Amino acid sequence: MNTENIRAASRIVIERVYRATLDDVWELWTTKEGFESWWGPEGFRAEVHSLDARVGGELRYDMIAATPEMVAEMKKMGQPPSHGVRSRFTELRHNERLVLTNVIDFLPGVQPYESTIVVDLAAVGASVRMSVTLGEMHDAQFTRMQKEGFTSQLTKLDARFGATTTK
Amino acid sequence: MQLDVFQALSDPTRRRIVETLLDGEHQVGDVVEKARIHQSGVSRHLRILHESGFVTMRPDGQRRLYALRPEPFRELEAWLDRYRRLWESRLDRFGAALEKKQRKQSKRNKGS
Repeated sequence: MNTENIRAASRIVIERVYRATLDDVWELWTTKEGFESWWGPEGFRAEVHSLDARVGGELRYDMIAATPEMVAEMKKMGQPPSHGVRSRFTELRHNERLVLTNVIDFLPGVQPYESTIVVDLAAVGASVRMSVTLGEMHDAQFTRMQKEGFTSQLTKLDARFGATTTK
Repeated sequence: MQLDVFQALSDPTRRRIVETLLDGEHQVGDVVEKARIHQSGVSRHLRILHESGFVTMRPDGQRRLYALRPEPFRELEAWLDRYRRLWESRLDRFGAALEKKQRKQSKRNKGS
């Protein structure tokens, strides 16, 4: 089993470098217009109802299926074509770091739970290095397993299968 | 009953059994001892793990030896890949949105 992915199980970190200013990157996370311009995900658009970029401030948005295919897909899965998401900015250091804590309460039959997205920014020459750390998965079952300490298990499985299996 | 990989591992006792099998093949008695779980529980959980594809069993004389199979772990890996890809494409869009923003700004600067 792929070592990298197993480690990533407990915490996914994705890093990107953009040719941009810290201000521009910051705005994409902390303004309505900015956030809506990229959040998605694929096949969805985000409609922000409130965005209060202060510690403890709220971010509320709808994720709306944006293509007929996606609407049909959601219907097939028995899900409505849009759902509301509630988040809070739980940490905020201008142009440096922000933490978004999402309340996941839209999964039928699943107790509401929180997941965090940590964003760290650093200027590197004329670019910005942005690292996004996903604390808990946006997936009910996976998050439940994490709460039960499953991820340490995955790290051990890594040792068991890391070197021996092929794809 | 066929459990998916998440359900199969959602039980702490089964995770302990899986952990016990990480260092290789074991017979039930070893698992009972190492995982400190009652025999009847181990048998039941081993059966569930076997049915959900996590564990293989091979007879060896009077003994039954249990071992892990890599397939369900690959399935977990595939799931993680999908999640990662969702974020990769999200950050692609982030980059595209930045470029668009910059184009707008430079136009505005030229205009002024």
